[in-house]
Amino acid sequence: MNSRIPQLVAIRVRNQFMDWSGAWWFTVTLVANHAIGPLIGLVVWSAVMPSGQAPVSYYVALVAVQLLTASFENHTFSESVYDGRVSHDLLKPQPVIIGPVGENIAIRVWMGIFGLPLTVVTALLVGASYRWSEALLAVPALIGAAVLRFLWTWLLALAAFWTERVHAIVAFGNILIFLLGGTAAPIALLPEPLRSIALALPFHAMLGLPAEIATGAVQGSDAGSAILLQLGWGVAFAGVAAVVWRRGVRRYAVIGA
Amino acid sequence: MRTVLKVARLFGAGFSMSLRQTLAFRVNLAFDIVMAVVQLLSTLATVLIIFSRTDSLAGWTRPEVFVLIGTFELISGVKTTFVDPNLANFPTRGIREGHLDHQLLQPAPSMFLVSLGTAAPLAAVQIPLGLVVVGMGVSMGGQVPGPGAVVVWLLLVGAATVTMWAVGMLLASLAFWASKLDLQSLYGNAWQFARYPSDIYAKPLRFLFTYVLPLALIATVPARALVRPFDLSSVLLALAAGVVAVGLAVVAWRRGLKRYTGATS
Repeated sequence: MNSRIPQLVAIRVRNQFMDWSGAWWFTVTLVANHAIGPLIGLVVWSAVMPSGQAPVSYYVALVAVQLLTASFENHTFSESVYDGRVSHDLLKPQPVIIGPVGENIAIRVWMGIFGLPLTVVTALLVGASYRWSEALLAVPALIGAAVLRFLWTWLLALAAFWTERVHAIVAFGNILIFLLGGTAAPIALLPEPLRSIALALPFHAMLGLPAEIATGAVQGSDAGSAILLQLGWGVAFAGVAAVVWRRGVRRYAVIGA
Repeated sequence: MRTVLKVARLFGAGFSMSLRQTLAFRVNLAFDIVMAVVQLLSTLATVLIIFSRTDSLAGWTRPEVFVLIGTFELISGVKTTFVDPNLANFPTRGIREGHLDHQLLQPAPSMFLVSLGTAAPLAAVQIPLGLVVVGMGVSMGGQVPGPGAVVVWLLLVGAATVTMWAVGMLLASLAFWASKLDLQSLYGNAWQFARYPSDIYAKPLRFLFTYVLPLALIATVPARALVRPFDLSSVLLALAAGVVAVGLAVVAWRRGLKRYTGATS
């Protein structure tokens, strides 16, 4: 069955991509919602730092990373626990996570379609510039960030098996990403010991790391070790999520036929 | 005058009912208080990070920015408590699903029922938290504002609240012409720009945030009145913006209602 998983994910992505094609206005609001934090950061830090030192390119790259790593499993999955739809998914001969993964990828593709032109326009307006080599080096970190952020949100979304306040829990998780992931300030500008704490925690790897590699702020062996740390956090989250999933499903009870 | 009293009584009754429904779930109350505190702390932490790198943000000192953020939280609390629960999804719920038909049949002003008929009382936690941050900013600044400055601040907070409501109403009214156009979410996103002094934005944006979408009047102008010398032109501008925004909202709502043919007939 494992060999069928990529095919099942691809089918789910295609279905969800078609489903979301009619929700273009909602997608625009999602793009605005996710772009606003980095854009405000761009303006604030441009006012704080002298011109030339302001992290303009970083924040423009952060807009793109934010859009391509956005995760909504508290909406796509947790709601299905609350209204019982997950029961049908549990009966299917395939892992339940395929549904949320497929929808996650489809939403990100749509957000990229609407949001990346906005990012390019912003880059041209504020004079952000990148080297192709560094931008390409950021791609593995971006993929890692996309996976890690999905796993983080998925893990928090699993709290739906225990509480009805999953949206507040995910909102709390997003605050941590905002503060320690590089939106409130680039990690390099955080005062110690907050900077060291932020570098060790997974939130930097979910958001700021790809933008830092794309702008050349993190290079060479530093980039390699940061990606290894990202991988380690990914494995840890996947392991914890697997355990929480099993316990959650055991706890799950449904009423009706 | 009788209409005003009636609307005030209805407003009180609607809030009381929402509050009783909400308080039935005590755990949610605790959750929302914790989340409001955490969100506010994250905003304050961001300000502290910024001021670890500078002494001034576009001419604003740290205590002044605290006053601004407190004012912003206060008015955001009013918005999320009273306005957002009503105007969110208005194009879908009100126009396309016909909820507005029922409201138009009620013996109360339709603008009131649509925009202030119900409430989300837990979100009101933000209001006292905002006041605490304003107090922190004032005490950090070391200069206690005079009674005149406090009165002007209260007046401007009132004007900002009215402007916030009127802009929300104006955007909701556009649904009469384009029923799929839900601008409340975008308004909520743009609202975040008011969290920082409008002086940090480039001139075209500052013009936009003052005269087109008056976000500068939400927190920057009231906060400035509390921590800086009295500036008559800003006060007049804020009051005029409130009056113009209400006028536009009323005109747009009435014209929209004339176009409205009902969803259920």
